[in-house]
Order: sequence, then structure tokens, then C-alpha cells
Amino acid sequence: MVFPTDENVIVGLDRADDAGVYKISDDLALIQTVDFFTPIVDDPYWFGKIAAANALSDVYAMGGTPKTAMNLVAFPVKEMELSILRQIIQGGLDKLTEAEVVLIGGHSVEDKELKYGLSVTGVVHPAQVLTKKNLRPADRLVLTKPLGTGIINTAIKAGMASAELTDKVTHLMALLNRDAAKIMSNFNVSACTDVTGFGLLGHLAEMVCGSGKGVRIFSKQVPVIAEALEFASMGIIPAGAHKNREFRESMVVFAETVERSRQDVLVDPQTSGGLLIGVSANQANELITALKDAGIGDAAQIGEVLSGPEEKIWVV
Amino acid sequence: MKEINARGLACPAPVLQTKATLQEEKPGSVKVIVDNAASQQNVQRFLESQGFQTTLEQTGDDYLVIGTCVSEPAEQPRLSAEQQSDVKQIMVMCATDRIGFGDDELGLKLMVNFLRTLKEMGNELWRLVFVNNGVKLCIDGSEVLDDLREYEKDGLKILVCGTCLDHFNLLDSKQVGETTNMLDIVIAMQLADKVISI
Repeated sequence: MVFPTDENVIVGLDRADDAGVYKISDDLALIQTVDFFTPIVDDPYWFGKIAAANALSDVYAMGGTPKTAMNLVAFPVKEMELSILRQIIQGGLDKLTEAEVVLIGGHSVEDKELKYGLSVTGVVHPAQVLTKKNLRPADRLVLTKPLGTGIINTAIKAGMASAELTDKVTHLMALLNRDAAKIMSNFNVSACTDVTGFGLLGHLAEMVCGSGKGVRIFSKQVPVIAEALEFASMGIIPAGAHKNREFRESMVVFAETVERSRQDVLVDPQTSGGLLIGVSANQANELITALKDAGIGDAAQIGEVLSGPEEKIWVV
Repeated sequence: MKEINARGLACPAPVLQTKATLQEEKPGSVKVIVDNAASQQNVQRFLESQGFQTTLEQTGDDYLVIGTCVSEPAEQPRLSAEQQSDVKQIMVMCATDRIGFGDDELGLKLMVNFLRTLKEMGNELWRLVFVNNGVKLCIDGSEVLDDLREYEKDGLKILVCGTCLDHFNLLDSKQVGETTNMLDIVIAMQLADKVISI
């Protein structure tokens, strides 16, 4: 397929990044993104919050500030009470308000399966756009949220997760990446993305592909929801994790010592996951301290960029 | 053998069906039939966590997991998982090209032997750092150059102090490792589980 091009497109389809970026003037560019999905938690209000946090995240990952949003709704009007839809939209709206983003419209259709999400528009200075590319040798990799939401959500579906754990993961998924992004903007950052459906290693692979560099991940330093390891060792693993692993098999080398359940968590598809940031080595510790001071307590240095030449992900 | 038909079910349903059967009937062996590879792996993992030995088969569209109970399930899977994940990251720092004082010839021989034997640490060997006179092991003519290159090829990160190379006027003679600074060395020390200084 051939896509039209325009000299003002800073990030377009050919780059397959988190969002599209279009230059309006020398000091202003638009960031546009859209994201919607089927419910991942039973509580409609929290589903709304998570969907909004997830949609906003792409703008944060590109170094921008979200400004406006529109709702996308698919709803089974005949089978479900409208009060459910109202709660979902209220959850989304509350999250947008927290992020200081205005809801300016939306569209709904009737569908057999409930879906909700948003299209979000943000702004960024054209020179400050952060993409998945541009990792530099010796950069450190920082992750701002713990992994394991896909596995825990599978456990919730299976009725094996405690109410407390369900609550913890729900709040984690609804947590905005805004503060992490704001802090990141004060540091010498080379590349950034948010960890979602492809899992940590899948999104890392996108950063590595075509870069001529490899990365080394210190698996024990990767923040993980402890229960996710336990469920993974019992085979409570979403099919998406297996697909993610197979898809990037040729790029990933696991040291023998990395236990299987930890490998599963590294490919576990995340909903509204944290930011994955490449930062210059001499600022990595300072960035972690700043993130922790801002209450992002799970933030951790998880790896480093190698000088190449192989585009591989070494997991030790 | 107890047969469990979990065809047409998506994750985690096949695991749950297997779990329910084990709890209700406590069979000594089971055959679980699923129709996708992800479910096959999940069921295999579950059975193994419950003390079963498993074999896998594929016939047509069916994936089979055959499990035989060999031991009681582990009581605290989380504990054992944490123990397994406890892989040490060992950093070895060489501030000299000889081991010990006294005879220099013996000292060098010991150092060569030491660096070659380090590979017995296996995956736990995580960083090899050379500072001060140690950087002379990484330059043209070093007896361990090939060994160090071999380590590097296997993914070990070798750091060589730039200030030291500069001091000895050896910046251009370095043949292996990444030139590094004190900050990187300090960060590596912080990340390491154990630092061995020579």
C-alpha cells in the first residue's frame, strides 16, 4: 500500500510510532492518536478511566502535551443498561479532567460487543518529538510501571486473583503516564515508547529494529507485579504473551538463568503500561531518583544500549 | 488415564478445566486435548507446577499434553520462583595486571590463569572492569587478548578505564572492551550483587 506523504509529516505511518505528528509551524506540531478496546475490568467506571489513561499515554510517550479528546463508543444498546455506558464515560471524563484535557466530542455506534476508547490530540515542539528510534550506545533503559497486568487480568478472568490484587492492578492501569513524561522532559532522553500489547520485549524490539544497536536487559531489575510470576508458573498466561514471544523469537536471547515465568512476564501484553525511556548513562540514576520523588516508586533502570552491531535483545 | 477435552477453549479456560479435574478426581495421569499451541504450553506449565511430568504430542489440529503425577505439588510456588530468579551479577575489577606481590613473572602467570578460569562463573560473570595497570591486559600484545575477546563475544561487558589508558598513553593500543569512565564503574558496582577486586 502506498501512503500519501507531506513535508509537514514528522512522524507518519511509515514509522509506525505511538502517534502521528504533523508540523503546523516552526514551533508547533500536532500529535494525534486513537485507541479503543473491549472491557478489561468488570467495573465500568474504572474501565473508562483505564481506556482514557491508555489513549493519553501515546501523546506522553512522544514528549507531547494532550489537549483535546473525543470519545469512541460501541455499545450493545439492546442487551445492556445505558447506566453502564454512563459510568464508562464518566470514568473517561474524570481521567481527562485529571490530565487537564478537554472532551470536545465523540461518536457512538450500536455493536454486539462493548468497546470504548478515545482519540486524543496533543501539541509538541517539532524539535522535541520523542520517537522509538534514536537510542544511543551506552544509554540506560528506564521503565516506569511494573509488568504483569496481562497475566493478572487472565487470573482475574479465571477467578484466581484476590480483590486486593484486582484493585491494585486496576489502579496501576489507570495511572497516567503524565508525571513520568513531565520528569523525563528535564533529562537527556534519546527515545521513548509506552509498553502495551507487545509486552516489554516486543516494544523494545521496535526500538532496536533498524537501529544497528543491541540492548541488554537485567531481568531481575525489571519491576514486576510479584503475583504475576506466581500465576505464570501455573500457566495462567494470556495467549498474547505466547504470540509476542514467538513474534520476536529471532531477536531475543535469554540467558539460561532467566527462569521461564520471568520470561513470560517480559512478553506479557500490558494494558496502559509504563514509559520505556532511553536516557544518557550519566543521568540515569538522577532520573530514577526524580521519578521516585514524584511518587513513581516502581521506576527502575532495567538495561542498557550496546554499541551493536547485532540488533538483539540480550536478557540476563 | 483421565482425558480432558479442552478443544475450542481460549486461555485460561483449559488450565482451569484441568485444575478442576485434578482437584475433584486427583488422577495419577491425565491427557489434556487443546487446539492451540498457547493453551498447550499453559496446560503443560500448570501440570508441571502441580508435580506432573509431561510429554507433548500433536495429531492433526489437536495438541495433547500427557501428564503423569510424580510428586506432590510444591506448597509455596512463589518461594521457589524467587529462589530460581536469584541469579547473581558478579563484577570483577582488576586494578593490576599481576596477582599479588613478590615475583612479577609469577604474578602475571597467575593473572592470565585467573582471567581464563573466570569463565567457570558462567552466566553470573556480568562485568569485567580494568583500571590502573589492569588496562595493560587489554592492549596489543597482551597474553589474554584472545580470551577477553572470547568473553566479549559471549556477551560479557568489558569496561576499560579511559583515564588510565590516557595516563599510560595507550588510548590507541586498546584492543578489547569499551572505554569507560568512573561513573559507569560506580553504577556497575551499584548494580552488581557482588564485586570482586583484584
